[in-house]
Parts: sequence; C-alpha cells; structure tokens
Amino acid sequence: MQLFVNIVVLGSIYALIACGYVLIYRVSRVLNLAHGELMMLGAYLLLATAWLFRGEPVLALAAAILLSLIVGALVYVFLMRKMTGEMVLAAILATVALGILIRGGVVLVWSAQQQYPAQALGVPNPSLALPAGARISLWSGVLVAANAAVYAALFFFLRFGRWGMRMRAAGQSPLLAAQRGINLHGIYALAWSLSTFTGALAGILMALDSGLTSSMPIIALKAFPAALVGGLDSLAGALIGAVIVAGAEVLLIYYVDPLLADVVPFLVLIAMLIVRPWGLFGTREELDRV
Amino acid sequence: MFRSAPRASGYFRTDYAQDLALIQTRAERWSLAVFAAALALFPFVASPFALDLASQVFLVSIGALSLMLLTGYAGQISLGHAGLIAAGAFTTGILAREVGAPFWITLPASAITGALLGFVFGLPSLRLRGLYLAVSTLALYFIVIYLGGEYETKRGFSTGIVVDPPILFGIKLTDGRAWYFVLLVAATLNLLICMNLLRSRSGRAWRALHARETVAAALGINVARYKLLAFIISSSMTSVAGSLFAYYRGFVSIEAFDLFLSIQYVAMIIIGGMGSLLGALLGAAFVTLLPYAIEALLHLLPNVQRLADDIFAVDYSAFGVVMLLFLLLEPLGLVGIWRRIQNYFLLWPFKYRPLAGADK
Amino acid sequence: MTLLQVDKIEVVYKRVITAVQGVTLSVAEKQIVALLGNNGAGKTTTLRAISGFLGLDDARVAEGAITFAGAPIANRPPHEISSRGVVLVPEREKVFPNLTVAENLAAPLARAGRSERRLDEQAYHFFPRLAQLRGLVAGLLSGGERQMLAIAGALMCRPRLLLVDELSLGLAPIAVRDLTSQLVSIRDELGIAILLVEQSATAALAIADYAYVMENGRVVLDGDRQRLQGHQDVQEFYLGQTKGERRSYRTVKQYRRSRRWYG
Repeated sequence: MQLFVNIVVLGSIYALIACGYVLIYRVSRVLNLAHGELMMLGAYLLLATAWLFRGEPVLALAAAILLSLIVGALVYVFLMRKMTGEMVLAAILATVALGILIRGGVVLVWSAQQQYPAQALGVPNPSLALPAGARISLWSGVLVAANAAVYAALFFFLRFGRWGMRMRAAGQSPLLAAQRGINLHGIYALAWSLSTFTGALAGILMALDSGLTSSMPIIALKAFPAALVGGLDSLAGALIGAVIVAGAEVLLIYYVDPLLADVVPFLVLIAMLIVRPWGLFGTREELDRV
Repeated sequence: MFRSAPRASGYFRTDYAQDLALIQTRAERWSLAVFAAALALFPFVASPFALDLASQVFLVSIGALSLMLLTGYAGQISLGHAGLIAAGAFTTGILAREVGAPFWITLPASAITGALLGFVFGLPSLRLRGLYLAVSTLALYFIVIYLGGEYETKRGFSTGIVVDPPILFGIKLTDGRAWYFVLLVAATLNLLICMNLLRSRSGRAWRALHARETVAAALGINVARYKLLAFIISSSMTSVAGSLFAYYRGFVSIEAFDLFLSIQYVAMIIIGGMGSLLGALLGAAFVTLLPYAIEALLHLLPNVQRLADDIFAVDYSAFGVVMLLFLLLEPLGLVGIWRRIQNYFLLWPFKYRPLAGADK
Repeated sequence: MTLLQVDKIEVVYKRVITAVQGVTLSVAEKQIVALLGNNGAGKTTTLRAISGFLGLDDARVAEGAITFAGAPIANRPPHEISSRGVVLVPEREKVFPNLTVAENLAAPLARAGRSERRLDEQAYHFFPRLAQLRGLVAGLLSGGERQMLAIAGALMCRPRLLLVDELSLGLAPIAVRDLTSQLVSIRDELGIAILLVEQSATAALAIADYAYVMENGRVVLDGDRQRLQGHQDVQEFYLGQTKGERRSYRTVKQYRRSRRWYG
C-alpha cells in the first residue's frame, strides 16, 4: 500500500510539473528547459514572501503564487517574445540560458544552503496515517489534491472558448495563426504565465514538504519524460505519462536497485521514442509533404 | 573558407585542385606563417597561467570542432556531448588504472569507444529530427552518466580515478610547455581533419541533408549512412578529447561531466557562429576564457569580496547572460560580427548592396 | 474610394539589401488588382510589407508609407493589420496541417461571435468541395483543395482587402481558372477588394481590373486590363505572344528594359 501511495505522490509531482511543459510546447513548439529553475524560483519567492509577511502564512503563499504568475508573463514579454520567428532550437537554448541565469542568481541572492520554507512560514508538516498502514506527509497530500484541481481547471479552460484548439493552431503555424487574427503574443504570454504558475506551485509544495536546495531543477528534468511519453501537446497525456513514469521509477527502485532512481525516467523516454515518438496522445508531427 | 572567388585580384584557378586548395592567395600564406610563428613562440614568453589557459583552449576546441561538425554542418542536434567526453575520459581512466595500459593504447581505445557510442547516439537520428533527436541524446547522456557513476561506486573510486601522466616517445608529459605543444598539434590535426571532411563528399552530403533531407535522399545521398557517419566521427573525436582531458587533469570523476558541460559546448558553437569551423574555434576560446575575464573584471570593481566568495554562481549567471545576449542580439555569433565588419569595409562608402540589374 | 495606398516604399533586408524601391500602387474598393512580374521582382516582398510580415525576415519598410482606409499600417504588427481587415492568403504554410478542415475554419473565428455559423456556411457556399472534406486533416488535402481552404480560412476573418500570394503555384490551369472565378464571385457577393500577386499573367489578367508590372524591385508598367493586354512588352514577355519575326531575346529585352529605366 505504501508503494501505491508513493506512486501517487511522485506521479502527482511529475504531472504538475509536466503540464507546464505541455502548455508551452502546445502553444509555441518550444521546450521550456528553464521550467525546473522557474519552479525553484517560485519556492525561493515563497521564502522571500515568508520573510515579508512574517506570521501570515496564507498571505505569504498567495503572494508567492501571484508573483510567479507575473514572473511567467515577464519572462515571455522580455525574453521569449524576441525569439518568436527564430528557429525553435534557438528558443530552446534561450530557455536553457535563462535557466542557468536563474540558478546562478538564486545562489547569489539566497546562498546555496538548504532552506526550509515550512519553518520560515511556521507551518508544520505532520505525517498522516492512511489505511493499510501507509503514511503520507501533509504537504504531499496537499500536492496531490492541488494537482487534481489544476488539471480539472485546465481541462475546463481549454475546452471553453476553443482556447485549446487555438493554442494548437498557434503551435503548428504561428505565421498563419497571426494572420488569422489569433493574438499570438497574448496566447504565448498566457501559456507562459500558466506554466510558471503550475511549476511554482509544484516547487512551493515540494519545498514545504522536504526543504529547498538549489538542485531542485533536477526533478523537473525527470518530469520531462512524463510529458513526452504522454505527448508533448496533450494535457491528458501528461497526466497519464506521469503516472507511468512514476510507477516505473518507484517499482524499479523497490525491486531492483535504488541507484536507478535518476535514470529510470530516461529509460522510459528512450523506449517511447523508439516505439512512438509523438507519445500516447500527442499530435503526429510527421505530416509534411515535400 | 571555401569562397567562390579568392578575395584578391589576380588569382585565377584553372583546375579542381586549385579550387579546393586551402590557401589561395599570397596574403593568406603570409598571414598563416606569421600566425604559426606566433603560436610557436608563445610558450617561451608567456606565464604558466597563460600557458595553461592556451592549452585549455586547444583541448576544448577539439570538442567544439567535432560538435560543430555534427550540429552546425550535419544539422543533428546533440545535447549529450559531455557524455562522450566522459566516455573517452573513463575509458582512459579504466584502462590506465585496471590494466596499466600506456598512452598509445588508451588513446585509440577511447576513439573506438567514442565511435561505438556515437553509433548508439546516432541511431535515434534515423527516425527522429529536431527537438525529439535532442531529447534522445539527452536521455542517452543520462544513461552514460549513470553507468559511469555505477562504475565509480561499484569499484570503489567514489572520489574519482587518478590517472598518471602519459609517456610519449619515452618522455613523461608533466611540463606545461610540452603539453601546450601536444595539445596544439592535436587541435591542428583535428582542424585539418574537419576541413578535409567538409570539402569532400561527406561534407557535401552533410550540408545537403542538413538543408533538406527529403531532397538529399532524392538526389541519391544515403541519408542514414551519412547521419550515422557524422555521429560516429564526431563522437570519436570528442572521446579523444576526453582522453586527453583525463591525462591533462590527471583525474577523472563523473561529477566533472555534468549537463552544464554539454550546454557549454552547445553555447560555444552558437556563440562562435553555427556552420563555420572558425566559429567553433572562436566560441571555444570565448567560453573558456569567459570565467577568467569575469574574475578579472570583478577585481576591478569595488565591493568585490562578497561576490568573489560565490565566484561559481557569478560565473554561472554571467554565462547565462552572455548566452542570452548572443541569442537575442547576434544569432549568427562571433563569425557573424566578423562578417559584418568585413562587409562594412568592403561596401564602404556604400551602405547597401546594389539591386541586381541596376548596373545596366 | 481608395482602400489601400502604397506610396514610394523602400524595403530593406538585413539592413543592407534593398529589395523594393519606390513602389507606388493603390487598390480601390471592390477592385481586383494584379501585381505581376517574374521571380525576384519584389512582388512577394511588397505583399509582405503590406501585411506586416517583414519583421520575421529581418526586413523593414525603410521609406515611404502604406495607408489602409486612411490609417497608416507600415511596420505595424501583423495581427493589428489583420484586425483592420487586410488578410493575407500566404504562398506557403497556407493551412494548419494537423487540424481538420472544420477546425481550420473555426480557428480564426476569434472575433466572430454569434455570426460564426453564417461565416462557416459562407465558406462552404463558395467552395462546396470543402463541405465534403470537413473531417479530413488538412495536411492530407490535395494542392487545389488546400488553396480553397486557405482562401476560405482568410474569409473567416471578415476581410475588406484580400491579399492573395501566388494562387496558381503548383496547380493545373483548370484549377486555377476555377479558383480565379471564385475570387470574382467573392468580390461580387461580399464586396471585398483583392490584391493578387501572380507569376501567371494570363490567369491574373483574366480577372483583374487593374494591374502593375514589377521588375527588379520597381513598378515599370501599370494600367487597366485592356491596356496591359494590348501592350507589346507585356504580350511578348508575360503573355508569351510573339508577333512577326523572332529577334534575339537578349537584345530586345535589354533594349526595352533600358528604355523603361531611363526614359
């Protein structure tokens, strides 16, 4: 039973991170390799707001989340907007550079030590008992619930107003989308804000659960295979892919070798790339006629 | 490098050999001679620190040239470069440590390991393109790193493998000057190999499949073969660089080959300018010397002590900023800037090139 | 009434290469205007300048002005120009390849609101073939069907001026004839002005009210349909109708060109 709980928790982490990748990819075909660093930035912002709003954890949390929404939009406006129209590889490298910049900046401002936002906020993290003798910490539970809420909200949003289809159209052919009146800048900024928001949420909840170090972005890199397995432009795929990757990781760690933890997602990734590169639910991107 | 016409008047090419020749004008011959003389004299006038810097640049440029070959010319994006360097370094370390193999066995062994690994890295390229290919190289990189880490822990080298200096022609290589020349020769050899590959059939095939794969296939180029060839050759060269790196540092540890190293190499070819061997060299020099330049700059500013403690983070941030600046402002890289300067002087006092047909 | 006025524009690529110099043209309401010329004449560049897509090629309108319905649109962002009613049917990338035909038509309906159903039907009215292909993914359409979908997609944006780039590329003459006659119906029924960039002068002049001929980045000839169809140069070099004995191509073309340039 504990194994099952572990899979659910890890799967929720991966899913919450993966939907950030999906949102941006769907809308601009860009792989946001700074997602992990942005996620970490969200958690560090919580430290800052915890210090600002001492003694008021709810306010601090809300402020941190709001800030992350703004940061996402700013990243688009000041950086990624200049890369529209350039090669996708250049845009991806720009995100890599941004990630490096954020990582360096975070260490410069907050030092490389491990931080404990839960302590800073003054919030406890008790271990809750579940049926069949399994245990889960409070903030992990909150994360699972938050993940479900986020996905539900996104599904609803993307169906309403045909935003989902417009995002796909913008991703496939930005030039044509712009000519057809789809406000590209608006849609991109929206995608970046939402993506940073979900990432920061994941980062904050993880930091509240188990502390914050400057090596948090590695988890985001492991969550990326989850997004790809499901299909890089499919939200439903991200959820299912996350469960698959998390399941494989937890089971293989338990039954085979604990050192495999960091490499299992990539083994799953390779397997998927061999069999079905566009993932379980992604749009096939091979339709190009000469 | 392979210009349609020599950049000086009075040179007429009358056969194919002249067309392909690397040095085509007298000015080129002279400037090459002067440059070679400067390089040869450098170790005798420079401080050990500068010598070490120059040696590092040579070593790094081997990897940069091979990545330029793979990504800049053949168009196959690879984010796993650090994995190949690690493979070469580890092969050398393992052979030197476990079997006591000498230099002239470990170097070719690294090359072969690199070639085999390159084959594996190249297999996804037969089916995938662009982003998905990059992702597959990333995944393979992580697997290589995992294997290296496994080896270190299982064999008890958790702090890394110590490698003795190589013995070349009976001389033990410990002297900074000797290393300078060895690495200079290695880099020059590599450069010549790359230049020759590019002006031969492989180079043309790579450029073709980079530009438009379906058309290249229609023209009779065996796309799969040349893609794999690009990966194999590039990886082999990179592993050799890794082997030299192991000997130069005297130490091999899996932590040295993190993802940041791969990104640094990719940054080198972008900052230098994609699609140009000169760009690879310029980029390698730029990225290698950047941290030292930052440090020198920091010492000029007041209030430095706090930042100097976090020098690694400062380097990191500065690298990110520089990479962003190049991507945003000069996507053609240093070579692009160089060409713009050239254009300015060539076209002066005109600002724009004339319209075709306006001279009638 | 003049809808679009292009005044002596100069378009510069990468800050060094002039592609278009001193081009002046105008399109009146409900008029079909053709822009003719060979490869490299600068027609597509002019069209891009009007529709706002120069920025992507590192080019800009360096001099002159472009006015649409009285408002200046030179160097404005594309979605702003599109919202004013200037819609482009591009030469490449005309459809969203992984969306179905119905989704392709639905995607631009951002501002349509309640009248979307009627716009949809309008598309199927002009191009009945599309109604049969509603559920098919656009990437699998044939060339002619794709062009139909591209034009229909442009209509979904309620244009006042339709810019059509190289309609006839890769299509059989009979398909081109069908499409051009549909353009005329669109102009007649919806009152939209059309600016047509074409290499096939025959097809374009068949439906155009007025035409401009471009060479090497400049407009060298303009006039209404009769004038152009009767013009000796146009007949010889663009319509392929030679009269009398054959002279050497090079001498005649050069002579004619120098006459146009300097006299």
